[in-house]
Amino acid sequence: MSVFHDEVEIEDFEYDEESETYSYPCPCGDRFLITREDLENGEDVATCPSCSLIVKVIYDKEQFMCGEEVSAPTANKELVKC
Amino acid sequence: MEGLRGNWTQTLFVWGANNYGQLGLGHKQDVLLPQALKEFAGSQRTLRNVAGGGGHSAVITDTGELFLCGQNKNGQLGLNHIEDVIHFTLCPSLSGCPVVQVACGWDFTIILTESGHLLSCGSNSFGQLGVPHTLRGCSVPQKIESLKDNVVSVAAGLRHALAATENGSVFQWGTGMVSHAKRSCQGKTIPSFLRAKEPCRVTGLENIQVKNVTSGSYHAASLTAEGELYVWGSNKHKQLVSKDDFLLKPRKIEPHCFLDEKVRRVWNGWTHVVAQTETGKTFTWGRGDYGQLGRNGMLSEGQSRDEKRSTEFLFKEPLAVPVTVPSLTGASEGEPQC
Repeated sequence: MSVFHDEVEIEDFEYDEESETYSYPCPCGDRFLITREDLENGEDVATCPSCSLIVKVIYDKEQFMCGEEVSAPTANKELVKC
Repeated sequence: MEGLRGNWTQTLFVWGANNYGQLGLGHKQDVLLPQALKEFAGSQRTLRNVAGGGGHSAVITDTGELFLCGQNKNGQLGLNHIEDVIHFTLCPSLSGCPVVQVACGWDFTIILTESGHLLSCGSNSFGQLGVPHTLRGCSVPQKIESLKDNVVSVAAGLRHALAATENGSVFQWGTGMVSHAKRSCQGKTIPSFLRAKEPCRVTGLENIQVKNVTSGSYHAASLTAEGELYVWGSNKHKQLVSKDDFLLKPRKIEPHCFLDEKVRRVWNGWTHVVAQTETGKTFTWGRGDYGQLGRNGMLSEGQSRDEKRSTEFLFKEPLAVPVTVPSLTGASEGEPQC
């Protein structure tokens, strides 16, 4: 079994503006979390605060590491286009 | 994410993750061994249906009362507030409106009433409530008005929901599968029912009488009156018995996968499927790396001699095709719950 529970695209995460945190459902009932700052630093592991599972976040690192000028894409923004 | 049906117990046992109080035991500590719920133990109430979502649980009694507990951040308990609830609590707004089935999605709830109407509450971030005028969500169950036909079966996924109507049609709403569909089927048109925020008829099931719908996190299944099983959505963990990454439209799982027996019941886990045939054989397939299939990659006796199943595909990916779990044969009374 892979160390990662799953690989999840950043567009499938929900973004909370207030805490600047991306979250995605964890099978344990909690959520995998990764902050925008983590992504800007090139981190790609979202962790669950309630269990040992982790997921690999699939995202365009360059887009996030550009800093303030580029706004982070969110799942909801993407879905509005549908 | 689908509940059990039929009167079968007077005592409800609960265990597992409990970080939101979803076990209804009055606390938020995880529970490692089954514990009887006092509320329902020895009472006159007979339980008809049990369902579990991301962090919440729901129970229906034979008189149509709906009890809920657990996470309520998005109003998924339908109790007109957004505080977590650690005891099973009667949903008061439904009094006089008996409930026959409930489906819990990740952070929302779909309620089927005796009269065949649907109500929904909880998060609507992905249009999973089927009521487009509610932007973020709703903490009081509200009727899904746009679905005019009487509903007989309902199911909820991570961010989408499904219903089968009296006349055998299937409707879907909530955009949870869209991003997966777009990535896997680039250049292809995404059907409207995958993009809908109101009930939209699932295409590809015309002239087919569906009697039961179930759902995984990103896939869905429909069982017909004739015992055929149709599946669509994400196939990331081979839960659709297909080589494609994603099925945009329902596809029938070949009957020989079930040894040419009719499928009578189906349940879905997050990324795996359990089906039971007319003779009680119980098949499992899909993701199995946490033991969720109840079997290893080996074929059971009888199946290994079936030439039609002896394909290269089967031996390369033994968890990706339905295989019986002999110890679950005839497990029709204590119905499996994924």
